[in-house]
Amino acid sequence: MSTKTPSSADILRPLQNTSKRFYLVFAVAALAFGLFLAGWVYQLQHGLIVTGLADWGSGGGVTWGLYIGAFIWWVGIAHGGIILSAAVRLLKMDRYMPVARLAELLTIAGLSAAGFYIIVHMGRPDRMVTSILGNYHVTVHNSPLVWDVTVITLYFVMTATYLLLTLRYDVTRLREGLPNRFEPLYKLLTLGYTEKEDEVVERMVWWLALAIIIMAPLLLHGGVIPWLFALIPTMPGWFGAIQGPQFLTIALTSAISGVIILSFGFRKAYDWDHIITDDIFRGLTLWLGFFAMLFLWLQLQQLVSGGFAAPIDQSVTFDSKVTHPAYVIPMGMVGLTLAYIFAQTVRPSLFTKARAIIAAVAVLIATLVEKVYFVVAGLMYPTFGLYEATPGAYFPSLIEISSVVGTIGMVTLFFLLVAKVIPVVELHAIEHLNETREGEHDGERGGGDSEPLTETATEPEVTA
Amino acid sequence: MSTEKSDATETLEALHTNEWEAEMRALLEDGDADADLGMAMAKDAQRLVAGELTEAEFAKRYHDAVLEEFDVDDQELPAALASIEDGDGLDDAALADRLAALEDGDMDRREVMKKMGAAGMFLGLGTWATTENADGPSPPASTAGEDEDGTQYGMVIDLEKCDGCLACVVACSQENDTSMGANWMYVFTYEDDHQDGENFLVRTCQHCTDAPCEKVCPTTARHTRTEDGLVLTDYDVCIGCRYCQVACPYGVNYFQWGEPDTPQAELDPDHVYDGRDRRVDSRPPKGVMGKCTMCPSRQDGKMGEDKVGSTACADACTMDAIHFGDMNDEGSDPNEYLERVRSENPNDREHFPNRPADTVNTFRLLEELGTDPNVVFVGNEPGPNATQVDGPVAYEDIGEVDRRKEVLDDGTFAGGVSP
Repeated sequence: MSTKTPSSADILRPLQNTSKRFYLVFAVAALAFGLFLAGWVYQLQHGLIVTGLADWGSGGGVTWGLYIGAFIWWVGIAHGGIILSAAVRLLKMDRYMPVARLAELLTIAGLSAAGFYIIVHMGRPDRMVTSILGNYHVTVHNSPLVWDVTVITLYFVMTATYLLLTLRYDVTRLREGLPNRFEPLYKLLTLGYTEKEDEVVERMVWWLALAIIIMAPLLLHGGVIPWLFALIPTMPGWFGAIQGPQFLTIALTSAISGVIILSFGFRKAYDWDHIITDDIFRGLTLWLGFFAMLFLWLQLQQLVSGGFAAPIDQSVTFDSKVTHPAYVIPMGMVGLTLAYIFAQTVRPSLFTKARAIIAAVAVLIATLVEKVYFVVAGLMYPTFGLYEATPGAYFPSLIEISSVVGTIGMVTLFFLLVAKVIPVVELHAIEHLNETREGEHDGERGGGDSEPLTETATEPEVTA
Repeated sequence: MSTEKSDATETLEALHTNEWEAEMRALLEDGDADADLGMAMAKDAQRLVAGELTEAEFAKRYHDAVLEEFDVDDQELPAALASIEDGDGLDDAALADRLAALEDGDMDRREVMKKMGAAGMFLGLGTWATTENADGPSPPASTAGEDEDGTQYGMVIDLEKCDGCLACVVACSQENDTSMGANWMYVFTYEDDHQDGENFLVRTCQHCTDAPCEKVCPTTARHTRTEDGLVLTDYDVCIGCRYCQVACPYGVNYFQWGEPDTPQAELDPDHVYDGRDRRVDSRPPKGVMGKCTMCPSRQDGKMGEDKVGSTACADACTMDAIHFGDMNDEGSDPNEYLERVRSENPNDREHFPNRPADTVNTFRLLEELGTDPNVVFVGNEPGPNATQVDGPVAYEDIGEVDRRKEVLDDGTFAGGVSP
């Protein structure tokens, strides 16, 4: 562990200094986002014909593709982010406190990207408000898409509330070091703040975290998002009870990967190696391995049930899976990542941050490709496969591909900007880190830097 | 035209499910009273609450029958009914009280309540509650098709007569000005393991009574017309999310990916808006979903009286294979046609009295999915291993496109694949 002592000055650094590299990253992200916006304007002018999509059936295409796959991917990242943060509070996984707020912010950013995809995917986005809200009282009883919008909105509000509540403590105490140009915002954020509320807010946040943890498997990535597909009986690639758990594992693997990459970026940019420690990366990588294992296990379940004496439509789906590179390669990538993480568990010296980053990037690419394949394959192999034009063909157009780069740029921009307005590491985390240090000096936690108490909570599950 | 009256009809349709009726009938037949009378009374109780029947009319209609059936010599029931007949400002609650009070009488009257009044009241009050709550744009019409009384447009398509000439495909695309490859009407030629020679499947929209496309629609753009059960898309409401296309098992939806081949200005306004003045007919504008409509503007008389009850595809079919009409009407073209085909193919019941009356094979496409489709096919159903083959006439021969993606790929911005 570094000899530096974590201080509030550390977490204020992003708000006070802006490096050349910041502008460079900002410019690249803005360019990526801007290019996609230009592509989207072109799409609005000419219609969705600019995509590689077409009608399934006699048309010989698929009607949903990369936009929907990327939508699922972003919701997954968003979703797991807040779960991680909630777990820190509920399960007292204090070790991850320094990255909790980054995870919360990732939820906000990821949900925004997902929401943007819903709009981009539509033929008439201008009618969103009139057509959806105007008929909400009727459609909410039937349409999984409406459930989806409902739950995502609820989730967004809960996450934002959670974030705003925890910010009050920090902003009040760090006000001196915060840039004056945002004074009105800080005033609004800390409106009516008294120290007496700290305890109350602590409780509220705890309950919010509990609600979020309950909602996750029931409603979000274990619920309405997979139900969009799992409830369609005539698309055998989608239908069935396993999609809920399957989607949840995808959400958690991709979210942890997202947090690993984010943490790495911030640590490098602001010399936070004493705050976001190697130990955090090691722990996150282990969790990534655990959820990657669940991910592969559920994929295996689907292969087995689709491969053994399955009905005709299921067999066709199975045949496609085991031969299609867009399925086989992602599975291989996740499998290799899992193998590395296992090896790292057995021999800790195999761990390096660079390898953790490679693992995270590999999982993110794999989950995106697998999700797009999932969406497309569902429509390629319908139960009613009499059409000569099925399975349809699909390859995303340049505009669709640029949407992925564009939304990554958008999320990057979000973090660059937010880091200039609020501290992205909680003051609590700094206070906690210092307490732990003092504790170590007192010999209470004799295990040394690589073995904090929470380690024991992580390990058994991973090695099990 | 009274809107109240049509509201009442809608309410009745919404309630009038066969299941419920069967359940009620079973209940009534358990007793020894006249089940038909009970059912009639229950139905009229619904009409009463829906406002189609006054209380006085209701009382008058059943007064004598009730007396006869149950031999009620007591004055209480007649008195109650008489006071209702007077129409002395009884509201529904008071009516319920009045009828409930009868239960305090002897066994006979309790039986009356149980077997008839109660059934009627339940149905009646149920209707009332439904009417109260139905403040949405329109009550779900999903039960309309099951209602023997309501109109449910559909088709009988005789696949044995089809010769695969694709005249219906051309007629449909001309009538609706659909873009190239958006084959609302589509004809398969297929080979199957256990069927010899050329087989055809003529695929329109099935106008399902339980349409999955309608269920998943996040906007109500995809809806069933209450008056005739046609499943349509409101082009002014659709947001183009394409969930209907995903949920439809038949693949009948065709999205308007780019600018339509025929501009708006060239469309006949009478063929765009239906009788309700909703934009549901002709090809969809850019960014919304289209599919076979079964020609609502024809049915609403907007294309001239002579076209009511016809569709472009049926008109074009020289083989007399497509028959459009009200599936609930015994005398409609499709039902009469079916009857005729059946009578022309009698079974040998002289020697085998337990055989069905005829040898005609009919099916509804993918009926096992529970969509309750309203197109009945005469002929053989394609099996799970059937494969589409080149037909006697190619789509390209008649100026149409089969695989639409070939057209759409021209508009794809850098990328996309031709199969």
